[in-house]
Amino acid sequence: MSATVTTVSKAGTAAGDARTEDSGGLREAVRRRRKLLTGGGVLAALLVLGAVLLGGGGWPAGLTADISGPLDAANDWVVDNRDTHPLFLYFLLHLSNTATDAVDAVYQGLDALGWLGVTVAAVLVAWRAAGLGRRGLRAAVTALGAFAVCGVLGMWDATLLTIALMVVSVAVAALLGALIGLAAGLSDRVDRALRPVLDTMQVMPAFAYLLPFVLVFGTGTPAALFCTVIYAAPPMARLTALGLRGADPAALEASASLGASGLQRLWTARLPLARKQMLLGLNQTIMMALSMVVIAALVGAGGLGEEVYSALSTTDVGKAFTAGLPIVLIAVWLDRTTAAAGNGAGVPAPAGSWLHGGRAWALVAAAVAAAAAVRTATWPEAWTYDISTPVNKAQEWITANLTFTEVWAREFTLWVLNPLRDVLVWLPWWSVLLLVAAVAWLVGNWVSAVTATAAMAAIGVLGVWAKSLDTLSQVLAALVLTLVLGFLAGVLCARAGRLERWVRPLLDAMQTMPQFVYLIPVVALFGATRTSAIVAAVVYALPAVVRITTQGLREVDPAAVEASRSLGASTRQQLFGVQLPLARPALQLAVNQGVVLVLAVVVVGGLVGGGALGYDVIKGLSRGEMGLGMTAGIAIVCLGLVLDRVTQRTSRTPR
Amino acid sequence: MNGDTKETIDIDTKAAGTAGDNGTGDLEPPVFAVRGLWKVFGPRADRVPGSAELAALSPAELRERTGCTAAVRDVGFDVRKGEVFVVMGLSGSGKSTLVRTLTRLIEPTSGSIAIDGEDVLSMDKARLRELRRHRAAMVFQHFGLLPHRTVLDNVAYGLEIQGVGKAQRRAKAAEVVAKVGLAGLEERRPGQLSGGQQQRVGLARALAVDPEVLLFDEPFSALDPLIRRDMQEEVIRLHREEGRTMVFITHDLNEALRLGDRIALMRDGRIVQLGTPEEIVGSPADDYVRDFVRDVPREQVMTVRTAMRPAADATEAESGPAVAPGATVSEAIEAVARSGGPVRVVEDGRCLGVVDHAALLAVVAGVPAQGVAA
Repeated sequence: MSATVTTVSKAGTAAGDARTEDSGGLREAVRRRRKLLTGGGVLAALLVLGAVLLGGGGWPAGLTADISGPLDAANDWVVDNRDTHPLFLYFLLHLSNTATDAVDAVYQGLDALGWLGVTVAAVLVAWRAAGLGRRGLRAAVTALGAFAVCGVLGMWDATLLTIALMVVSVAVAALLGALIGLAAGLSDRVDRALRPVLDTMQVMPAFAYLLPFVLVFGTGTPAALFCTVIYAAPPMARLTALGLRGADPAALEASASLGASGLQRLWTARLPLARKQMLLGLNQTIMMALSMVVIAALVGAGGLGEEVYSALSTTDVGKAFTAGLPIVLIAVWLDRTTAAAGNGAGVPAPAGSWLHGGRAWALVAAAVAAAAAVRTATWPEAWTYDISTPVNKAQEWITANLTFTEVWAREFTLWVLNPLRDVLVWLPWWSVLLLVAAVAWLVGNWVSAVTATAAMAAIGVLGVWAKSLDTLSQVLAALVLTLVLGFLAGVLCARAGRLERWVRPLLDAMQTMPQFVYLIPVVALFGATRTSAIVAAVVYALPAVVRITTQGLREVDPAAVEASRSLGASTRQQLFGVQLPLARPALQLAVNQGVVLVLAVVVVGGLVGGGALGYDVIKGLSRGEMGLGMTAGIAIVCLGLVLDRVTQRTSRTPR
Repeated sequence: MNGDTKETIDIDTKAAGTAGDNGTGDLEPPVFAVRGLWKVFGPRADRVPGSAELAALSPAELRERTGCTAAVRDVGFDVRKGEVFVVMGLSGSGKSTLVRTLTRLIEPTSGSIAIDGEDVLSMDKARLRELRRHRAAMVFQHFGLLPHRTVLDNVAYGLEIQGVGKAQRRAKAAEVVAKVGLAGLEERRPGQLSGGQQQRVGLARALAVDPEVLLFDEPFSALDPLIRRDMQEEVIRLHREEGRTMVFITHDLNEALRLGDRIALMRDGRIVQLGTPEEIVGSPADDYVRDFVRDVPREQVMTVRTAMRPAADATEAESGPAVAPGATVSEAIEAVARSGGPVRVVEDGRCLGVVDHAALLAVVAGVPAQGVAA
């Protein structure tokens, strides 16, 4: 779902690009060609020079700087001083105590409500937030189903803990995001300073956020909570700023002309006008928080994620399913409720209804209080049903009878992944840097080329060159698969409206799922191999790519398509001659999104046999080897930067 | 520097002169008195008005030399109490900037603005807010309504900003909503209204604060021609009923002629002519204005006063149909056509002169009437 986030933020740029394309198309083409020629010439010269001077092979050992030693030392220092140093005593300890207390308090509160109280609350809040009426009813039914299944699966307590974590982290992230967004929305300088930071934060895989927090807070609730907050706050900040900036200037001027003071203008015009965007930001923040809360099981968050994690580490597919299903349902419930609330903003309540504004909320509160008064405690044992045994049986049957999946996985590893990795590792290190620089420069500008090359060089300096290239080979393989499938599906969806109507809800639902849950079915089918991580990545990234492609093709100027049809172009000619070229900015955005999403899952895939950098992070976390984990984490961030810069088209001219 | 001062003074006397035409009985200060007003956008904008050399450049030369754009250049005029003062010009002539500088929604670069004799540019923040809240309210081309509020709450918005209590401001708003013909739509949202209705809401919002002056910034340009006509009539009706002073910005010459008591015609930030519709159409100040008003149906703007000649004899002065001196030429043409002879121009029972078909035709054709000359 980080897809949706970045899509929103970057769609604007894409649209802007499309416009420049229209006006300066010819000049653009000429400029591009010239750039290509000079770039190619310089590259060839450098390649020859490099071959003569530097020779081949991996990153030279002389150029590495091992940072795991100092990191381990830092970790030891933190562990030794956690109870004595004033920094911890007077600041960090308070922070982590407050975090633990807050989560505990919410958990106790939910527990005190009892299963009936919690379910009634979830159902009625969904109903009210989604705007009563039919839409509200649908959200309410979703909520009822989600919570009932969580109870039936015997995951009630884990669900409550996850929700308690969510409540606290979303509250903090939304507040933080709104404040940052307010600053960025009102001040150009803050906006300029924050934008690149938020941009970068959104391309970083969730995995990379975990380690610094563990270093400071140790494993446990505080680390999980804080990294969730930091991971989930950017969409709120960015969309708040966007909403405040995009407000109708005429309305703001009218407000000023009537003599409104700055504060009055903010309260009566700016914030209400930004409300829809802010609700969208809240929706994305909630979905990202859920994704992170689940992954944060790795740093001791507990709850549903913990169940999935422990099940995955023993490859107990049945147990993983049992815990994964509630996560999926909670994601659907949260998304439906908040999305409906966002869509309903500004639509007046049905006239004449007595359930109106505050009265409906009062009713919700009263009903929840009544349900809580029944004192039902935790979900009754008798009403649970264990699905892990049948699921495990089914999985055994699959592995026994559908051997082709494992064969396929083995073949894929043998014939695609291994050769690809070997080629990448065989390439002389300087030629990789050159390649990165050249592609980033061609796609973007020299700033992105410098950033990408520096990030790639940093990977070498960290001494994880070979491992990073292994991860990179997985990303590339998954990316190619994603793009081939995604573009095909996107073109089909754009051409056949009915197909899109069918596929759309599925894609929407898939985009809201936390990365973690994709690993479960994949392990069931392919076992713990590198291929399963890749398949999970493809499945995870596909919805975003399909969606952006479809949208891009749909938004191609209908007049251009009509003109080509009036000239007698065949369907094929229309597609290749008009639609795809005009949708190029969208396709480029799809590539960029695809690469970011694929990387996020490929590193999480370290849990299910993906190896390389992701595995190092997990090893670092589970064995407390901070140096190893952090090095891998930083390498992941660098790889993310490289991949983003190499695929992100910038129209901004460097300052 | 000297030359520059001289030019400003010239404008001053010109503007003051026009104001003086109003008659000696008018001792009240004008609602707005604007002198030597400049608004320059761009780097170090404030050097432009002060330098005679830069001030004399054409817009293109100025942009090339300094990177600045002068939206309003050395403008001076008075808006009298109770009149509809129209500022008209093509897009980019600086008229929208000009109206915004009146309440300092855009800060002018130099010059002076007074409202009821009080200097606007030296007002502090609180005083300026007070001015915007109570004395001048604006109607915008793109309405500027708040989409999340009902029509009633949009109209009450100005009062809310003033701190008026909810019940009171809603009562007042309901009254104004009815006045602009939107009764029954109070609970709608702006998105559910047509463009014309939305602009009525914008008008009601401005009226609700009961301002001394209404400022209109091309309020009807975004509307369909028929709706535009309705809205113009609405403004004329309001003006007739309440006699409120209005400053009206438009790029539509017909709208300017229909609504304006006086019109200031702007080009490239300067006022090229300031006068009544009749003066503008009847005696254009230069070729630009002449070109501008060429297609105006003159018979509908010019009054018989311009076409009349003294009565040749007593019979002519005593008999025949009569028209008022303020009647348009087209009305006189109708009267002449019906009677077949000259028509008397009568004011308070006294015959001022007569118009005949030759003189009326001369007005329509835009050539000097021969009968008058003789």
